[in-house]
Amino acid sequence: MTSSHGNAHSEGAEMEQIITEFFAKSLHIILESRALYVSSRNSFGDQVVSSPSSSSSSSSSVRPRDKWFNLALRECPAALENIDLWRQSNLEPIVIDVVLVQRPVNWDPASFPPKRVLPRSSSMKERYPFSWNSDQEELGIETKSEKIIERWVLQYESGKTRDSNSNSRRSSNISLHTLYKKSTLLLRSLYSTVRLLPAHKIFRELNSSAQIRPFTLVHRISSFIEPFTRREEAEMLKFGFTPVDTASGRLCLSVMYLPSASEVSSEPTTPMSPQVITDYVGSPLADPLRRFPLIPVTGLPSYGSPSSLPFSRRHSWSYDHFRASSPSIACSPSPTYSESHTSVSNANSRHFPPASLPPQPTELSLIQKKNTGFDDRYPHPSHSIDNFGSLPTTTILRTESAPVRIPAAEVTNSPAFSNRQYLLPSPPLGGSRRASKTDTNMSIQTGATAEKLFSLGKDEPQKYSGVKISANSSPHISFSRSSSRSYQDDFDDSDFTCPFNEDDLTDPESRAESFDHGHMADALEAGGFFPIRKSHDAAVGTLVHLLKKAPPLRQDLSTSEHLSQGAHSEIWNNNIKESNQIPDALMPVSMTSSGLIATRKTTADALEEFHSYREMKNLLLTRGSKN
Amino acid sequence: MNCEVSQLKELELEHFEMREVLRCILHTIVFHRALGLVRPKDVDMELFDITYVQCGEVELEKKIDEKIEQFVCWVEKHPNKKSQICLSFYEVKNKQASWFSNKVERLYWEQWYINLNVSQHPKAHSVKSHHSKVVNPREGALEDRNVRSAALEASLRDVLFQIIKFVNEKKDHVPPIPNIEGPVSFPYEITIPSSSDSAFGMDMLKRMLQTGHPTMLS
Repeated sequence: MTSSHGNAHSEGAEMEQIITEFFAKSLHIILESRALYVSSRNSFGDQVVSSPSSSSSSSSSVRPRDKWFNLALRECPAALENIDLWRQSNLEPIVIDVVLVQRPVNWDPASFPPKRVLPRSSSMKERYPFSWNSDQEELGIETKSEKIIERWVLQYESGKTRDSNSNSRRSSNISLHTLYKKSTLLLRSLYSTVRLLPAHKIFRELNSSAQIRPFTLVHRISSFIEPFTRREEAEMLKFGFTPVDTASGRLCLSVMYLPSASEVSSEPTTPMSPQVITDYVGSPLADPLRRFPLIPVTGLPSYGSPSSLPFSRRHSWSYDHFRASSPSIACSPSPTYSESHTSVSNANSRHFPPASLPPQPTELSLIQKKNTGFDDRYPHPSHSIDNFGSLPTTTILRTESAPVRIPAAEVTNSPAFSNRQYLLPSPPLGGSRRASKTDTNMSIQTGATAEKLFSLGKDEPQKYSGVKISANSSPHISFSRSSSRSYQDDFDDSDFTCPFNEDDLTDPESRAESFDHGHMADALEAGGFFPIRKSHDAAVGTLVHLLKKAPPLRQDLSTSEHLSQGAHSEIWNNNIKESNQIPDALMPVSMTSSGLIATRKTTADALEEFHSYREMKNLLLTRGSKN
Repeated sequence: MNCEVSQLKELELEHFEMREVLRCILHTIVFHRALGLVRPKDVDMELFDITYVQCGEVELEKKIDEKIEQFVCWVEKHPNKKSQICLSFYEVKNKQASWFSNKVERLYWEQWYINLNVSQHPKAHSVKSHHSKVVNPREGALEDRNVRSAALEASLRDVLFQIIKFVNEKKDHVPPIPNIEGPVSFPYEITIPSSSDSAFGMDMLKRMLQTGHPTMLS
């Protein structure tokens, strides 16, 4: 095959090894920046690396694999597995299809574990069935739409015929060194090309955080080319890397890619993902009042095309989201939030006597705010109702227990809602927030009642208002403004926690149980307990969690609800009953209880909660990034 | 040895974009010529939706940033001029006698010319008319900037592809990989226009004399 040298054999073996390693490296480079469960992100500069696995490349140790072509790559299980398979073949071509999969809007992330299914049994030589990375099998495939956005073809053209012509001169000229150098150069350009192609943008988006996207990337590796339709082919551009000649053939690498791929991804993304992100990054609490005006201006335009705004990339655009959805965010930690949407009447707020709350100046302030807020609310109730209309209202409303509330919040945040929908409801929310501040303590206790009230009928505005207030009482509002004044910041938390505290007080064990039941419960509780201020992360985590598990949660909610209710103290039950029967009566009761709770709660407790919450968040993030 | 020369497509940019754009281009080129053991580092640009690759070597980064600063200074002193940065790779050869009597001779084997057209004043109004949707002036300006920035992003992407293509097509002139530690395998220099243009020209002339006849490419 090759050269006239005496050491032809060994040289041939070396050459083959170089070729083999070239395949391996190429595959590694491509998958590393396309396979989702591996983060290719390096922590660099100010860029945010959300995926925990990102920094692996920075490790100083040099593995033997890294020395090949002097290119140290991050771990990429997908690549390693596939290359192991490939090694059994005889330098067969490798075809890597990168596929954009659009998920149905209401897909269930919970059923989407990052599990890899590799048909190990089938060998490459048999034209092994595609080795799909992960997702493919697990998703409900029926509803998905797939599009190949990149096809990499890596092959070794054995050049015997060609070699025979220029034979000795050529082959002898191509030293192993040259081959190695050239393939090294080729791999360098492959490395940067992979990052320039539109698919990388999608990959980056998917990988940059644990957000849930309506699309994902999968890759298929096979040894034969499944031809494109003519139309598909027309859409694609081809980039052929200059082949590297070897003594007996040449290494060829080319890619066909869809130039519009990034647009494909961004279209569906924009409406949904931003909300989630927003919650994540932004701190809506910072200036709840101000957000409102901004929403119409910045929020919408930026949503449309995040990619087109260089300045608004990532954080910035998320920030916009943030603004727009901020009200929702604030509410999210507490289930009551959803209730707030339903916007209760002001009457209840008035009912809540400041006295009932712990005698704190903050509450007074809250009350004042409530009053103002109420006015705003009244006009808006219709909006909120409409929003709920789209949702399974009954379930949401019913899920009143603390855990339940969270899910409700989730629902509102869930992708199913378009941003616009969000925006509409948000104004009422803003109003409600203010009002809610006063009520925060109440909300926990009353929450259940509120739900029932809602379910019972919309006829009774007063009931609603009471409920709302409690709902609104969500930690954000109450903490930031009202409580802060009276207490130190730390104490502010107590207001929020009150609901939880109550649970704790009544039945500590029950709470523990709820934890065991699942992350959901934890997330919910945590969210409810912690003041937004302190735990943005926590709030984010909750959101993420909730979103991922939204559908199942609702179901769970009912159960959780029961559990929680059971766990609740008698007072709680009483409250509920009373609320159902006599909505107005509820108010005082809840108030008192909340007051007690508030006093008992300590910052230490809050901190503890916070930590547990954090753990959860990290867990979620890890999981999310793997997805 | 041939000296391959690549003239990169001219980029029109604003002052504030210079640094990042130059960093992107210079690092991209050097990465392709860093044939030592490299641990590549992805960098997401802040101004553009582009990811480029660095070698992850501090020294290199420092040197590039230094040169960029010098260049920025030069641009500030020479506004509204087209400007050029040259990144050259060379080999060092010891020679007993040479024209310029330096014992160490640099044999340039590759030169990259980065061409920039830095506009001092953003053309905020140029595009406005196309967008009827503009509601308020501030937003309009923002939109213009976005349009312009998107155009620059596309051009920058083109330049990066130009680099990749060049690297792909021209492999023969690259010297054998020296056995050294660290990613940066070949000596390089970054030349910016010095205080007077003529000096820069002299520099080029000198280099041409040293390296023989460069083949002008692209």
